[in-house]
Amino acid sequence: MAIAQFVVNGLLVGALFAAVAVGFALIWGVVDIINLAHGEMVMLGGYTAYWLLSIATGTAEGSVLLFLATIPVVVGVLFVVGYALQRTLVSRVIGTDIFLTLLVTFGISIAIQQLAIQAWTANPRSIQVAFADPSMAVGGLVVPKMKLVAFAGAIVLTAILYLFLQRTRTGRAIRAVSQNPEAAALVGIDVEHTRAVTFGISSAVAGGAGAFIATILNIQPQMGLIYTLKSFVIVVFGGVGSIPGALTGGLLLGVVEELTAGLVSSQWTLAVSFTLLIVLLVIKPKGLFGTGADNEH
Amino acid sequence: MSTDPDTSGLLRSILPPERLDRLFDLCGAHGWKLIAAGAVVGALPPVFGLREGYMMTVLSEMFLFAILALSWDIVGGQTGYPSFGNMAFFGIGGYATAILVKDAAISFPIAMVGAVVAVLVFAAVNGLIVLRLRGHYFAIATLGILLAIQQVTRNLDITGGASGKILFDVPPGIVFYYFFLAVLVVEMAVVYYLTQTRFGFILNAIRDDEGKATAMGFNTTYYKTAAWMLAALFTGLAGGAYGLFNTFLDPQTAYNGAWNVELIAMALMGGTGTVAGPVIGAFGLHTIIEYVESSFVGWQLVLLGAAIIVTVIRFPKGVVGTLRAYANEMDYYERGGMAATDDEEVTTDE
Amino acid sequence: MSNTPETDDDHAATATAADTVLRTEGITKRFGGLTAVNDVDVEVHEGEIVGLIGPNGAGKSTLFNCITGTLTADEGRVTLQGEDVTDWPEYKIARAGLGRMFQETRIFGGMSVRKNLLLAAQEGGADIGGLLRRPDDSLMERTNELLDYVDLGGLADTRAGRLSFGQQKLIEFVMELMAEPDLLLMDEPAGGINPTMLENLIDYIRTANDEEEATIFLIEHNMDFVMEIADRIYVLAHGERIATGTPDEIQHNQHVIDAYLGRE
Repeated sequence: MAIAQFVVNGLLVGALFAAVAVGFALIWGVVDIINLAHGEMVMLGGYTAYWLLSIATGTAEGSVLLFLATIPVVVGVLFVVGYALQRTLVSRVIGTDIFLTLLVTFGISIAIQQLAIQAWTANPRSIQVAFADPSMAVGGLVVPKMKLVAFAGAIVLTAILYLFLQRTRTGRAIRAVSQNPEAAALVGIDVEHTRAVTFGISSAVAGGAGAFIATILNIQPQMGLIYTLKSFVIVVFGGVGSIPGALTGGLLLGVVEELTAGLVSSQWTLAVSFTLLIVLLVIKPKGLFGTGADNEH
Repeated sequence: MSTDPDTSGLLRSILPPERLDRLFDLCGAHGWKLIAAGAVVGALPPVFGLREGYMMTVLSEMFLFAILALSWDIVGGQTGYPSFGNMAFFGIGGYATAILVKDAAISFPIAMVGAVVAVLVFAAVNGLIVLRLRGHYFAIATLGILLAIQQVTRNLDITGGASGKILFDVPPGIVFYYFFLAVLVVEMAVVYYLTQTRFGFILNAIRDDEGKATAMGFNTTYYKTAAWMLAALFTGLAGGAYGLFNTFLDPQTAYNGAWNVELIAMALMGGTGTVAGPVIGAFGLHTIIEYVESSFVGWQLVLLGAAIIVTVIRFPKGVVGTLRAYANEMDYYERGGMAATDDEEVTTDE
Repeated sequence: MSNTPETDDDHAATATAADTVLRTEGITKRFGGLTAVNDVDVEVHEGEIVGLIGPNGAGKSTLFNCITGTLTADEGRVTLQGEDVTDWPEYKIARAGLGRMFQETRIFGGMSVRKNLLLAAQEGGADIGGLLRRPDDSLMERTNELLDYVDLGGLADTRAGRLSFGQQKLIEFVMELMAEPDLLLMDEPAGGINPTMLENLIDYIRTANDEEEATIFLIEHNMDFVMEIADRIYVLAHGERIATGTPDEIQHNQHVIDAYLGRE
């Protein structure tokens, strides 16, 4: 029985990991950049929702609907942030040494983290969403309602991203650029703009996930790195550029973490995640769905 | 490399490339003397009265960071494998010494030997895993290992868990000052020598084109591992001393991710792949960060992030690298002058 | 040079191990459903220049990769100087006396031309003593001589990455002269350089072959080049060996002509 509870908890939080990882996978696949500042987009999304709610109600509390109303704003804001970062900074190092691209996003990550500390202090915060009855019982398992809402939110964000890529013109342009930038340019696609849009929507989805995270866990300026690394684990497992892969990987990672926390101790969760990272890198899976991660660049 | 007339014009009038080139040649010819001179200069301040206090700590830390940056550069700049997790060696060295000194009541020098052994064993195992990865994967794997070790250390009792270890009865600051200085001088000498040997050439070959190096008959795994263990040795030595120097060690301090970024930035800003670069970068950046930290508390890391971004985008070669490129730009045309005529006749292609 | 005998038995009877520098027997390499190289036998004898030609996609580069150890053949055997090197790692085969020049011309762009040459010299050795030694005078002398020989003497201290493509190709070749391999594999040496440079290269290759008994196995698309310089030629098409013989014989071989025309 307890195990089932852990699994459910894992799936619920795993969807959020997946939503974050999905954007990471996209940037990696399309722009060929490992965005070490990706976790900061999650953090910024959380804080944006927090402050919106605070402005609206005076405290960081509100009803579900009020909270959900902040999501479109969060998504919009983070889209702009992501687009701007790519256009102004990241684009300048594309095509250079891999080390430099890693370092520039790392530099951005540090700058954002530290600015956040300066602006908002290092104290953790969270958003309280009011429910008459915070959890519900489903077949003997306890399911906190907010976690269910977060789960749904993450799935919706992921689905929207997926549909966007498959059904819209911009989405097709993105896929074209990921396969062959030169050919895409020849066909008239504005490659720079497309890359920036990719960064934008990845950051937007990550930010949206961050808003949900603020309601079920807490947020603090330095939370980003963990999410970046988890995204890395998920994408190596699921395949670069693959959204279904990231989804599966995210859910799995969530379950593994909850099982560790429940069966061993929550102190060991991170250690397990990082060890998984190393194990995956050693085994070098081809990725479940995606193009697989080369280790030769 | 920027050869645009506007900036070059100003620089050219002050310091023409040829003169700088000759300066570099001079430095190259007298490298050993320069290192020795540096050692002497470094050894002087305590002789003239600086035996304790803030300045001594700052200088000691400058030497420390120079050691770390130069160690990073052995694998990152010379061999082309940028590690984001060098601090793992630092922390293991630090904890090994701390545990041996505090819990096993072993004297400092012997504990250091134990720390070095621990670090080298760890580096060998670690290397088996990460050195077969390239590019992104290598960098992230090293980061993963650093964080994993940090987490594990937090959860173990022998390391004092999250609260770490406090150390008493440590040697006075001046011991550490000379220790770090000595390790730095030795490391500079070692790296300087190696860059002129076949071993150093092979490392650079791995950096430039590992596939070609393999096709030429070099077992690149062997050389990468050697470089990795060398970097681990010096980093571990520095870490081993640091715990006592700081009288306190916890997972955050020992496996400090922020420091890892700092030392990469130092190597980058000074100039990767050179001997002087990481040292200059360390001295310079550490001084700036200390200054910012004292005047604008909390902003030093924002500055670090911004500095990294600017360097990566505008000056990826760092101080030494950019100056060298500037100094040598004439090289091709001057010395290649003879070849240039052959060039016309021989390569009017592409 | 004589025609390659048609059976292994014939060959075993007429050649000793010292004669045959390289032999592949039944090399087959598949990638998923595609058979890139199918049961290919080739031989290179000491002092020969042997050409490997064929339409694009014929499997020439794949065969080379199986020989150098970059890839491991699914079936068949590679013998170098009498030793079975089929499963050896790439660096070990290189160390055993196999040199390779690449189609895209690979040298170490971040270091000086001289340093490239010093790296190529094998007498540095792999033992600790050799590794920790700095280049001695005789080695430096050799680099100077070789660079002068190809008229690139003034570029010794220039960063290799700054050289033009043609000059880099020459440097890659000079590196092989430094290394003195038992067998040199050249992948499209005539690619991307102008006629004058090509003439010079042919000269250098001939001289190396005449004076140093350099043994060369080369892939090439430039027919004039191959026909002029090769003692013998193998032709691959669709992964299989379809012909072998002297340049003259190959030029008049109907199978070969068909294979090339069939491609268009």
